[in-house]
Amino acid sequence: MSETDNRSKQNGLLDLRGSKLNIHRMGAGEPLLFLHGAQGLDGSEPALAGLASHFDVIAPDHPGFGRSEDSELVDDVRDLALFYLDLLDALALKHVHVVGQCIGGWVALEMAVTSSARFKSLVLVNSAGIRLKGVPRGDMFLSSEDDLLKLLFARDGVEWLNRWRATPQLEDIYDRNRAAAAKLSWSPRLCNPKLDRWLHRIDVPTHIIWGEENRLIPPAYAQAFKQLIAGSSVSIVPGCAHLLHIEQPQIFADDVFRFIRRVAP
Amino acid sequence: MKIFLFHLMPYADLDLGAAANYRAAWVVLPNSYFDPKQGHELYNRYLDELELAAELGFDGISVNEHHQNAYGLMPSPIVMAAALSRRTKQAKIAILGSAFCLRQHPLNIAEEHAMIDCITGGRLISGMVRGIGAEYYSTGNNPAFSHARFQEAHDLVVQAWTRPGPFAFEGRFYHFDYVNLWPRPYQQPHPPIWAPSTGSVETIEWAAHPSRKYTYLQAYSPTQSVVRYLNHYRECAQRMYGYRASSDQIGWSTPVYISDTDQKARDEAKPHIECLFNRLLRLPFEMLFPPGYLSAKSLKNMRSHKRSVSGQEHTVDSLIEQGIIVCGSPDTVRKQFTHTHRLLGFQNLLCLLQFGTLPRDLTERNIRLFAREVMPALQALTDKEYEGAQMHAAE
Repeated sequence: MSETDNRSKQNGLLDLRGSKLNIHRMGAGEPLLFLHGAQGLDGSEPALAGLASHFDVIAPDHPGFGRSEDSELVDDVRDLALFYLDLLDALALKHVHVVGQCIGGWVALEMAVTSSARFKSLVLVNSAGIRLKGVPRGDMFLSSEDDLLKLLFARDGVEWLNRWRATPQLEDIYDRNRAAAAKLSWSPRLCNPKLDRWLHRIDVPTHIIWGEENRLIPPAYAQAFKQLIAGSSVSIVPGCAHLLHIEQPQIFADDVFRFIRRVAP
Repeated sequence: MKIFLFHLMPYADLDLGAAANYRAAWVVLPNSYFDPKQGHELYNRYLDELELAAELGFDGISVNEHHQNAYGLMPSPIVMAAALSRRTKQAKIAILGSAFCLRQHPLNIAEEHAMIDCITGGRLISGMVRGIGAEYYSTGNNPAFSHARFQEAHDLVVQAWTRPGPFAFEGRFYHFDYVNLWPRPYQQPHPPIWAPSTGSVETIEWAAHPSRKYTYLQAYSPTQSVVRYLNHYRECAQRMYGYRASSDQIGWSTPVYISDTDQKARDEAKPHIECLFNRLLRLPFEMLFPPGYLSAKSLKNMRSHKRSVSGQEHTVDSLIEQGIIVCGSPDTVRKQFTHTHRLLGFQNLLCLLQFGTLPRDLTERNIRLFAREVMPALQALTDKEYEGAQMHAAE
């Protein structure tokens, strides 16, 4: 089956190992899997549209987030990584670019250290996954909404927050996303303390993008990932924070495209 | 009716001015504000108060578990229950409760409960709680698994108390190859289990199940919620499970303050009860309800409830008016409890007779007045005085 044949089928709900996974699929080109972070996929539409002008973008709501069902198989990020390796098999994606933001970056790392056989490249955007001792991070769960916005955005995030208040359905998804993010990342917070031992296994071109004003996971983490992943490159983007792809969707999409064109022309 | 003195053991010497600079007296209030010398005084004073209640004829005395806060200084209620077990002879000792599910090894607490039950010859009541939301920050436990872990910790503990060991426990969260408790509890099959809550339909339906019939305790609630939830227990037993709940299966827990006159009681209680509700119990939404701690439905209800009451400061008058506390002359307090019992028929009453910054002298007088002027009348109340039982008999 060609990848074009697949495409029309996978926009919407896909049954994967006993639960329904909601997949947004758009654009054309080489396949690119976008793995969202703790704040979910809503609001990432401009960023995904930017990627879709170059790639066949596959962006699932993680189980328990957005419009995907919860999965009994997924208790933690390790489970989610194996679940998405199953997804790559199910979609018969042989060589896929993987872009992960926040928890999504952590998932991509756990996938890659397990098997990068189907990976063509890896992009980490403000990624969770490791813990730098002595480098304070923000607490997205304990923070009031005002303080949360200061962690997530360099500028005013009120518009993003208000979007979630637009309908009761979106309000429910906002709460759902928070509960699902807690399930995956509460403790140890936003990391697998042993993951750094295995990052040398990543053998695909890797790029790291970080918001210069990220106060949830500060830019020191970008340098740490660079040290741990051989041959990786880093872009530090001024004027944005943790939700870089929402705050600066075009800069984000262009940076991803430039990297991929460089390593996989 | 059985009457218990319930103690929270707050840090009553808290520098309230300094504490006001923090979001809560939980999780983020630095422990540099805890003075161990004051702690020494307070623990001993509070134990004296519980022992006094036992001497004065309360049916039971009660302690509970809270972590990393100034609201209640009992991260281990078992330490307090142990201290009380040899200083009292008749009173029940109610741990309301232990947060078994916050531990990696709930069996350790099951063992300690069994020890206290043996030492006291079966005077222990074992409460089981999930811990409040703030404690999922303090202990690092994942709130998204709170409900499921609570159920499994309960199953593990009850099996450990009742099943001949050694046996293997193979759960989702807990895995033990050898469960074989020494000692076993004194009471057979196990100490009475109580489920305290500030109002949860899920907890009520779980507690009322015929295989459990645990006593449900409604705490810190306005009269309308006490009515709603205690009646819900009886209705749930009848409609969902087809049996008639005993009045022993429900209880009410509330702060109580008594003085010579209604006005004097209000004036004396005011700063101390307002400290409890506005300072020690003030928690931001994110801290009280971490994501996943409540079911999606409960969270939605809580959000809309919060929007309607947000920013509301309690006063002694508003607390009395809503029935969250019972405060007045002995006559007023006696009448109010008698009246509420007539409506709801609960056979367990837990009175918080020390709260917030209430000092030693006022606390002792409160305990003595309650024991002398109010308690005898309440202890005499049975289902005969409960309207619901009369209606049932008439049918």
